[in-house]
Amino acid sequence: MRAILLVAGAAFKESVRDRVPYSMVIFAVLMMAASYLISQLTAGQDLKIIKDLGLAALSIFGLLIAVFIGIGLVSKEVEKKSVFALLTKPVTRPQFILGKYLGLVMTLIVNLAVMTVAYYLVLYYMDVMATPALRAGWPAPALDPRLLVAIVLIVAELALVTAVALLFSTFSSPLLSALLTLGLWVAGHFNNDLRRFENVLDVPALAWIARGLYYVLPNLAPFNVKAEVVYGVPVAASHVGYTLLYALVYISVLLTAATATFRRRDFK
Amino acid sequence: MAAAIETEHLTKDFPVGFWRPRPYRALDDLTLQIEAGEVFGFLGPNGAGKSTTLKLLMQLLFATRGTARILGRPVGDVSVRRRIGFLAENPYFYDYLTAEELLSYFAKLFGYRGADVTTRVSRVLDDAGLGAERRKRLRQFSKGMLQRVGLAQALINDPDVLFLDEPMSGLDPLGRRRVRDQILGLRARGCTVFFSSHILSDAEALCSRVAIVVRGRMVASGKLTDILSFGLKGWELVVANVTDEVRAELEKRARQVTPLAHGRFMVDLSPDADPPRLMHELGGRGIEVVSLNPVRDTLEDYFVQTVAAAAPRPTGGV
Amino acid sequence: MPQAHSVDSRPRPSNRWFHAATAGLLALSIAVQVVRDRGWQPYEPATPVMWLQSGPLLKRIALGFDALVADIYWMRAVVYYGSKRLADEKGRNFDLLDPLLTLVTTLDPQFKVAYRFGAIFLTEAYPRGPGRPDRAIALLERGIDANPNGWEYPHDIGFVYYWWLHDYRAAAKWFDQAAQVTGAPAWLAPLAATTLAQGGDRQSSRFLWRQILESNDAAWLKRNAERSLMQLDALDVLDEINRALGRFTTREGRPPRSWQELIVAERLRGSPLDPTGVPYVMDPATGQITVSRQSQLWPLPTEKPRPLATPP
Repeated sequence: MRAILLVAGAAFKESVRDRVPYSMVIFAVLMMAASYLISQLTAGQDLKIIKDLGLAALSIFGLLIAVFIGIGLVSKEVEKKSVFALLTKPVTRPQFILGKYLGLVMTLIVNLAVMTVAYYLVLYYMDVMATPALRAGWPAPALDPRLLVAIVLIVAELALVTAVALLFSTFSSPLLSALLTLGLWVAGHFNNDLRRFENVLDVPALAWIARGLYYVLPNLAPFNVKAEVVYGVPVAASHVGYTLLYALVYISVLLTAATATFRRRDFK
Repeated sequence: MAAAIETEHLTKDFPVGFWRPRPYRALDDLTLQIEAGEVFGFLGPNGAGKSTTLKLLMQLLFATRGTARILGRPVGDVSVRRRIGFLAENPYFYDYLTAEELLSYFAKLFGYRGADVTTRVSRVLDDAGLGAERRKRLRQFSKGMLQRVGLAQALINDPDVLFLDEPMSGLDPLGRRRVRDQILGLRARGCTVFFSSHILSDAEALCSRVAIVVRGRMVASGKLTDILSFGLKGWELVVANVTDEVRAELEKRARQVTPLAHGRFMVDLSPDADPPRLMHELGGRGIEVVSLNPVRDTLEDYFVQTVAAAAPRPTGGV
Repeated sequence: MPQAHSVDSRPRPSNRWFHAATAGLLALSIAVQVVRDRGWQPYEPATPVMWLQSGPLLKRIALGFDALVADIYWMRAVVYYGSKRLADEKGRNFDLLDPLLTLVTTLDPQFKVAYRFGAIFLTEAYPRGPGRPDRAIALLERGIDANPNGWEYPHDIGFVYYWWLHDYRAAAKWFDQAAQVTGAPAWLAPLAATTLAQGGDRQSSRFLWRQILESNDAAWLKRNAERSLMQLDALDVLDEINRALGRFTTREGRPPRSWQELIVAERLRGSPLDPTGVPYVMDPATGQITVSRQSQLWPLPTEKPRPLATPP
């Protein structure tokens, strides 16, 4: 366990000092600029738009962090051979994989926490500037704590995407891993359409394939409760619970597979 | 007592080719035994299988056939890793960590805690000759400095067995000197050192025994002086203040006389020329001897001969 | 040499347990999804929102991949239409269909299938569609603006007037316009003439559907045409049966109490089936015989002119 935490700590330190901070700065600036511009341009709907934009930016920047740093942590290390020194220390390969993963999830959480603070600051500013009449027209308060539910699910989704990236990076090159991960992310969000395909497709075999893919591919659509939260529609606690449980189980699947690949691998 | 390192019939094939990969034998049937306290040189030209052997011993690669043991235990065993150190060829570490952070990370992986970590880290960095740079991030390090960090990290746990892959590469003469001294110091302490190199002088200066691999096969092993005849190929004599008369005399007795700058001459003598007598005879005629060197076989010569003689590399397939 | 294998102390580790664990965990993840999906449907706001309703804006955002984005939105439109058709009473509204189609055709004004199939989707009467022939005509008119050389668009408009709006004069006008387009098939001109003369009779309707059936390759369109032809056949049979029903009522002074009574009294051959094999039923409200709600052919097209229908 100590070995896992040490690897995680080093991975965290390494990735936090990487370019990640810049993306956070870009994110914060983008948010501020957007909220200012939009509050100049629109009337009434501006709070909703800022909430939407903020959550979208949060998940997209989080995705970039997850994919690019996630892949860098293992496949870059293999490519540049820094893995040689580490794997000849008293660290097993499964410990290495789990440690790297934990380190990256820590990086993700820290980054998303910073973004969340920036997000709430903008919303606080909106709240302060709003007239009571304007405020009455909002479907949900500006500083709605329910937004955190959406953010927690975004973190869980990104933790899953990171595990996907890690799995790919145990056997393919960094660029290919990044592309595959992004591809699977897109597929994961279209996954619900796969389920609905059954209603549209006439061919039973294809419908079965669609259903199989729906269950086996990472299913990311349930993590997306952004619309509910922005409209102030309640999100069932059981849904959040099952989705977090799903994330946990599916991440275990991915990490087991990643470990299985990595522990038998030759490092030329 | 078990040997420090032993391998039996160690063999590694790599699949080559994307479509219908065929095995390519990088290492063929290597059997070695290295006793504790030895400094063992693993020599061979580039691409001979030296790094493959080291990676098999580190279990960065899995053997196709055969076994390898370190300190009597299978390679890859975590208890073995606590007692060994490894320096990869052209080592590379994490860009955004400082040398100090990297070393203390590794020290902690060995289970050291607290003040023990700090003292170990500063000791190995001092030994490697890294001063204030140790607080800089590794991405700013030159190749030579990374090599020093690499050696430092391999020594963080006072290993019983040390594996070094081309430890001298990328170092300036001063750096090589330092690494040699460090290895000699480790030998004095009883540490077993296994290092690969393609440079003879390193092996000559350090090794009690060597093995020579060419194209994946071990072609010789034993004391370096036993393997190589080190046959004297001749003498190289440099002289000054040479009169025409003396020059004519020299040309008669030498294989070749080449004029150098400042009135000096290089005299190429055959092995049986008996230079002391020659110098004694000529000394009376006012010539000045600048230098006298024996010319011997080099490892490079040996490689060239062996490679030329060796049959094409056997292809794998079991 | 053989002992080399036997002393093999640490070969590449076996992954049997890892594979088993992966499979087990994957099964568990499927179980979690099944349980979760029982209580969850993707959220759709009560007032549905399309993020980008503006085609020109989306066109700018598409960064030159207009056609590709159009394809994606077209797929969304098809899936939307298909899933709404199968939704329960409550969720069955087609509000986003027209905006989606507009978006698709703005992004890719040459997207013939989107105009033609889109128009069919829009005209289908509730509950099979939104029942908006007016929107279908508007969509097809935009198609004509973008592709003045396509005879299909005026033909389809004429068809909407003929079949859904029962405005045979307008239908004939559009068929005629389609016939004027260079490259239009020869049967369009006589079609315009018969429509004007005998608009609404089943023979001209059959002719129209047969042309569609024969001149199209798209399976979906063919099926739609076949279905309409079957509906016309069913209408013929129903006329026959309902005439028998009239005879019975006149003779007995009361309508039959059941289908069975009618079958026996009028010596019908068993319980007649509609062309898809589903028995006809008696509508308890009117006492008339019609196709079953279970049949693919339900609802039958209305044959009298009627005002623009909107879903309840």
